[in-house]
Amino acid sequence: MITKILKFKSSFINLVRFNRYNSSTNILHPSELPQLHPLLIKRVDILKNDLQNLSIKLESQYNEEIQTNYDKISSILSKYEEFNSVRSEITELYNITDSELIKDATMEITNLQPKYTDLIKELNYHLIPPIKFAEKPCIIEMHPGVGGSEAALFTFDLLQMYINFCHFKKWKFTIISMNKNSSGFINEAILSIDEPGSYDTIRFESGVHRVQRIPETETKGRVHTSTAAVVVLPKISEGNESTLVEDEKFFKPNEIRIEYMRASGKGGQHVNTTDSAVRIVHLPTGIIVKQQDERSQPRNKAKAFALLRSKLAEIERIEEINFQKSIRNEQVSTTDRSDKIRTYNYPQNRITDHRCNFSLHDIDGCMKGNKLIEIINKLKEDDYKTRLRQLIGDYSTK
Amino acid sequence: MTRVTAKLIRQARSISPYLPPLLPANRSINQALLELKWIKCELPKNEWRKAVNKRLKWVPLQYILKTQPFGNLNILCKDGVLIPRWETEEWCMKLANLIKGLKLEKLSMIDACTGTGCISLLINDELKSTATNLDIHGFDVSGKAYDLAKENNEFHHLSVNFHLGDVFDEEILDKLQLTDVNLITSNPPYIPEEDYNKSVLLNGVSKSVKLHEPKLALVGNGEFYYNLLYNLVFPSSADGFVFELGYKEQADLVNEVAKLNGWRVGYMKDSAEKIRCVLGWKADGKFKSLKDLCSYVY
Ligand SMILES: C[S@@+](CC[C@H](N)C(=O)[O-])C[C@H]1O[C@@H](n2cnc3c(N)ncnc32)[C@H](O)[C@@H]1O
Repeated sequence: MITKILKFKSSFINLVRFNRYNSSTNILHPSELPQLHPLLIKRVDILKNDLQNLSIKLESQYNEEIQTNYDKISSILSKYEEFNSVRSEITELYNITDSELIKDATMEITNLQPKYTDLIKELNYHLIPPIKFAEKPCIIEMHPGVGGSEAALFTFDLLQMYINFCHFKKWKFTIISMNKNSSGFINEAILSIDEPGSYDTIRFESGVHRVQRIPETETKGRVHTSTAAVVVLPKISEGNESTLVEDEKFFKPNEIRIEYMRASGKGGQHVNTTDSAVRIVHLPTGIIVKQQDERSQPRNKAKAFALLRSKLAEIERIEEINFQKSIRNEQVSTTDRSDKIRTYNYPQNRITDHRCNFSLHDIDGCMKGNKLIEIINKLKEDDYKTRLRQLIGDYSTK
Repeated sequence: MTRVTAKLIRQARSISPYLPPLLPANRSINQALLELKWIKCELPKNEWRKAVNKRLKWVPLQYILKTQPFGNLNILCKDGVLIPRWETEEWCMKLANLIKGLKLEKLSMIDACTGTGCISLLINDELKSTATNLDIHGFDVSGKAYDLAKENNEFHHLSVNFHLGDVFDEEILDKLQLTDVNLITSNPPYIPEEDYNKSVLLNGVSKSVKLHEPKLALVGNGEFYYNLLYNLVFPSSADGFVFELGYKEQADLVNEVAKLNGWRVGYMKDSAEKIRCVLGWKADGKFKSLKDLCSYVY
């Protein structure tokens, strides 16, 4: 008896659906709409709990960081509420069988479906635990690798590509420094992208970029292969005179050695040198940062300190990831800086990203800044899947 | 320091035609490239050629670009007035931070031998947004320095009072009508005549300094410190002083004279580990924490 009714119901639904198809709209049965992964729904409970804890903290004492965090979580949760209500609206509308109302209901569903898809996209993105420093601006460091002057030219091309990308995204940027060797070729470029959250987009650029093309200087028309190394760091400090005091305090005096590149001699009134370079050695890690682009020595020092903090933050982030992987008994991948992540093949007008096996057949569009996002989005998608898989792994082992 | 060889010049020319003239004053392509970048950033294109040619004649870059960064200020520089040095900037920032920490009700300060005015202007700038009332004065014997200091004051919208005056004038305090003073600073000329004539390798001055900066701002010795103490520090109500110097003997002299008058004295080194300032304070005066800036206390 029950099965009969069910049968009847389902055929009825098919009928309704048939009608709806007839009205030439493209609507899906609620169960066919994309769904949130159950683990992400579990995260909602965790976030609700977090929110409560934060609000207790805020009651006793105002703190800007806690407040921002609170606002962020509550906006995610309200997105989730909105998502739920859109979903139930769609289901309700779908269940309307009154022939007079079906047309309106169908219209309504057509309007709601894109909203539903947008919300689920956003929730998919926001409900997963964020990567460390995702909200930060970033710093891109570029160095030529193998290939001599052609590698230097390619490094410059990459710098230009990221600058164009900033224009495309309407992001503010500054070239922190650009050093040339004694033949006038670039041997280091550091770009700061001052948009909060840009780290989360640009971080996929870290690694070795390889170019295959005929250098301008090549007379026999042979294709050369050269490389440039890109390192993306989260920007922790502004690196100006006002952040210098705080940045200096961040380190214990015996942790760092500050060197000024100055010729010997009496100094003071005796000389009027313009050399204002500053070099900082971080003794525990051996990291060395040098800044010389500013005429002002304190400004060089401030920039060097900020760069050092970014480098240490990135190391800290990678160590944390590796630690978590080791808890999961996963292979700890030493982010091998010699791994080629991408090839720019000019003769074939092709850029291939080896991590996601994606090829873009528009080098010019990428270098001009507006197509790079296609590669990055692909990488983001893959990264998301990996992170979701890790989240699932974490739950199943618990 | 590399020698400027024909090869180096050729190499420089292959990078930019503006580069070779910058080599003698810079000695390395790296530093010359930086100077060229600053020239290109700060001057219109039609002045680049003239600028690098001036530099070939050892004109200080600071006179060519007409400024020198000094803390948060960009001090205007002109021919005839000494260019502010990074060593001065360094101790001046330390002093400013120390004064900030004191949370004084009022700071009355005199900067003797003020030149561009950089010391007094930086202190003024660093303290202007604190609760401390400021009454800051600077004086110099050179008319060019006096004019430029006033120009810098206006350029930075600050409120230092500048005067013409001579450290060797016994009545200088009365003439300036400044008796209620608590801090005296100075970066007087401190290069002994015999060193002024030596090469930079023998503790002398560099070619660019010798050829283009005023001798009046450079040559001096013990007599300046002696007069700073007798004409300014002792007759005023000051309870702190900071004088820049270049030689340990100068610090010793200040200690000898000041300790007899009830002062505690110490000296401080700069970040290149060179002796750079002599500091004095009263044992239980407002500025006794000047001691914390010292690397050695007598
Ligand atoms: C080494 S410069 C210092 C300038 C400035 N305070 C600085 O730190 O850049 C010395 C200054 O002392 C001035 N001067 C020389 N003899 C002087 C005197 N007898 N009385 C007052 N100022 C004098 C010079 O004109 C020069 O500006």
